[in-house]
Amino acid sequence: MSTELPLEGIRVADFTWVGAGPFLTKPLADHGADVIKIESRTRTDPIRSMAPFRDGQAGINRSGYFANRNSSKRSICLDLKHPEGNRLALELIAQCDVVANNYTPGTMERLGLGYDTVRRVRPDIIYLDMPMQGNSGPHRDYRGYGLTIAAAGGLFGLSGYPDRLPVGTGTNYPDHVPNPLHGAIAVLAALRNRRRTGRGEHIELAQLESTVNAIGPALLAASAGQQTERAANDDPVAAPHGVYRCAGDDKWCAVAVFTDAQWRSLGSVLGAPEWTSRADLASAKDRRNARRALDVLINSATQTWDADRLAAALTKEGVPASAVLDADALLNQDPQLRARNHWVRLDHPVMGPSIYDGIPYGHSRTPGRLRGPAPLLGADTRDVCLELLGMDPETFDSLNQQGVVG
Amino acid sequence: MTLTPTTDGPLEGVRVVDLTTGLGAYTGRLLSDLGAEVIRVEPCGGAPERNHAPRTDDGISFSFAFTEAGKQSLIADSSDGGNAAQLEHLLDTAQMLLTSEGPGLLRAKDLHPEDVTNRHAGLVHVSISPFGLTGPYADRPASDLTLLAAGGLLGLAGDPDREPLRAWGNQTSVIAGVHAATAALIALLSLESTGRGQVVDLSVQESVAHSLENAAQYLDLEGVVRKRVGAGPAEAGTGLFQCADGWVYLVGGLGGRPLAWQSIIDWLTGQGIDEAETLGADKWQERTWRRSREGSSTFRVIFEKFARTRTKQELYESGQGRGISVAPVATPEDLINDPQLVARDFFRNIDVGGNQLRFPGPPYRFANSHVGPRSGPPSLGSIGAPEAGAAAGPGYERTPA
Repeated sequence: MSTELPLEGIRVADFTWVGAGPFLTKPLADHGADVIKIESRTRTDPIRSMAPFRDGQAGINRSGYFANRNSSKRSICLDLKHPEGNRLALELIAQCDVVANNYTPGTMERLGLGYDTVRRVRPDIIYLDMPMQGNSGPHRDYRGYGLTIAAAGGLFGLSGYPDRLPVGTGTNYPDHVPNPLHGAIAVLAALRNRRRTGRGEHIELAQLESTVNAIGPALLAASAGQQTERAANDDPVAAPHGVYRCAGDDKWCAVAVFTDAQWRSLGSVLGAPEWTSRADLASAKDRRNARRALDVLINSATQTWDADRLAAALTKEGVPASAVLDADALLNQDPQLRARNHWVRLDHPVMGPSIYDGIPYGHSRTPGRLRGPAPLLGADTRDVCLELLGMDPETFDSLNQQGVVG
Repeated sequence: MTLTPTTDGPLEGVRVVDLTTGLGAYTGRLLSDLGAEVIRVEPCGGAPERNHAPRTDDGISFSFAFTEAGKQSLIADSSDGGNAAQLEHLLDTAQMLLTSEGPGLLRAKDLHPEDVTNRHAGLVHVSISPFGLTGPYADRPASDLTLLAAGGLLGLAGDPDREPLRAWGNQTSVIAGVHAATAALIALLSLESTGRGQVVDLSVQESVAHSLENAAQYLDLEGVVRKRVGAGPAEAGTGLFQCADGWVYLVGGLGGRPLAWQSIIDWLTGQGIDEAETLGADKWQERTWRRSREGSSTFRVIFEKFARTRTKQELYESGQGRGISVAPVATPEDLINDPQLVARDFFRNIDVGGNQLRFPGPPYRFANSHVGPRSGPPSLGSIGAPEAGAAAGPGYERTPA
């Protein structure tokens, strides 16, 4: 079995920062691409200054938020506004297969690193822009963060209890799911196409457009004149379907009943088979109509159960169920994640051994792996300048003293 | 964007056999958008997801229409011996197989990835399953809601005084789909350079656990277990605000620090909200005041006095025009009419059972290639089966890469 990583030989000039962009280049890096983050010493990536920090002490090399999305990468510092820094960036790009950035529209052009310039030094480059609203249109210069994109993109407003304000997912969902991973898909597809045709690609991922796809079915409904409303934990098909209170402080179990057989099993596990013989609850439609009353019945039956035991008992009888796991359960208790060695502990030079999200899939023949912890700011500048750009040590030292590299 | 697009997609020449349930269905949609030929295999009566509510007036499921756009449909029932042989023949001509059930169910259909890739050495079997192919829960029944719970995202959403809350729609299909398509393309690159297929074993639970922002790291580094906190961090200037026709989401502060604060003051005073001048006091620069209940509610009263007289769209455009990070809490109807999406020709009119529906365009635009949904969901059996044992027929002329 080969130990070679599947993306070995691919090099990425990574100008992405903050949330979404670095989670795009992470899967590339974890599968063998040489991802070189181009950072600034004077305007550091804001996420390097965001909690959580090792032992709660802030520092640009101590953030777990930053570290988790930058495994397996290298970091160099360049002053892109200095002519020599700009020249070095283009020299580096000439040796890269992919350029990725998530700056606001026009930034890369102002830095002299826009697609048309880059294409001259590397005609078959795969170049990805990741603006919030797109490179064109009346809102192209609008600004935002993960939560404003979730709001503008529709998922936030649809997620919530019908009798209260929307609540969204509790996370910057667009930064963690649709935007980075749609971006990774686009880059990989373009790499495949380049291999076939020799042509590069200019990809524009407008984060709003990407996020809107997460609620695609609701847009189709709207275009057919049908409204979609917040529905808490209801499901259009399954009932009962909800998150029920279990024994202990803030313990819950999610349960989904799609079929008559699951309905009978739920009744028998909860020791209430009389429900399942009620004629007015015999069909899925009946149960959906009675779902509020059923939620009350089920909550009264689940509150004495341990959530994990209830999930085990229900799933054994074919009913989809799971305890609502928090970070402690996920990291320290869940037997499934433990059996699959999901979490990865990497020894970071400043943070020490720290937890990183594992890759949620495995390739049987060409598995990826987290090859190393997040890089310290500028840790690889010298190596990249000397080994990749062929700079001599004296020139490096001189540019370093001027603050152009370092 | 100076190059001329071609009608080819970047995955031209790739054939994908799609045997997924709703959990895996978005994966094939993404590959189809990129130019792969994706063949949805269905039982004689059609996939049950075809009829899931909510539906068009003609009974076509919106979620099915969305995830199946651009695919072909082939009728083949794996419980029928003749059809099973046809499926094997089809897999010989394909580069990828997508499934989304656990190992026990797959084995019962003779579709366990180990067996499939033994029979078809040049095939990538992308196995999306609730908990992965191994481990004590591998065959546990699961659904969107229970996988959000098992992966930890459900526990981060909702109000603290209420039950944890599901994100709208089948987000596990999106979460699994984007990771699975990424993994599938990594395997395709390897297949096309070595001729060798393999198994991709994707766990939806793990994919959800990859979406928790910084929750795992908060526990590891600071010993803090993150809990659900309603609509977001409690800070003056940040969060949901009522306006004339709904809500806007304003980010006037992050991490206890004000953002574009003077612009917000100018915005409000310019509209005659005199109280806004009090927001210039020093305490509004302080983290403890900004994060206090009193600070938050004082700001809210002042801001909503203005916002309640304006629409989402007015606040969006006038606020952003001043460099303030404000966004509408958009409804699907708002999005269909969003000036930015409309100006960029984002939506595509596609026929679904005789009705023109407006599909969102693809998540990305390629200057050089054709990308995005090309047609609606296939009618049941839109392509015919090849005859058992016969050479590849029309539509099956491709050979493995």
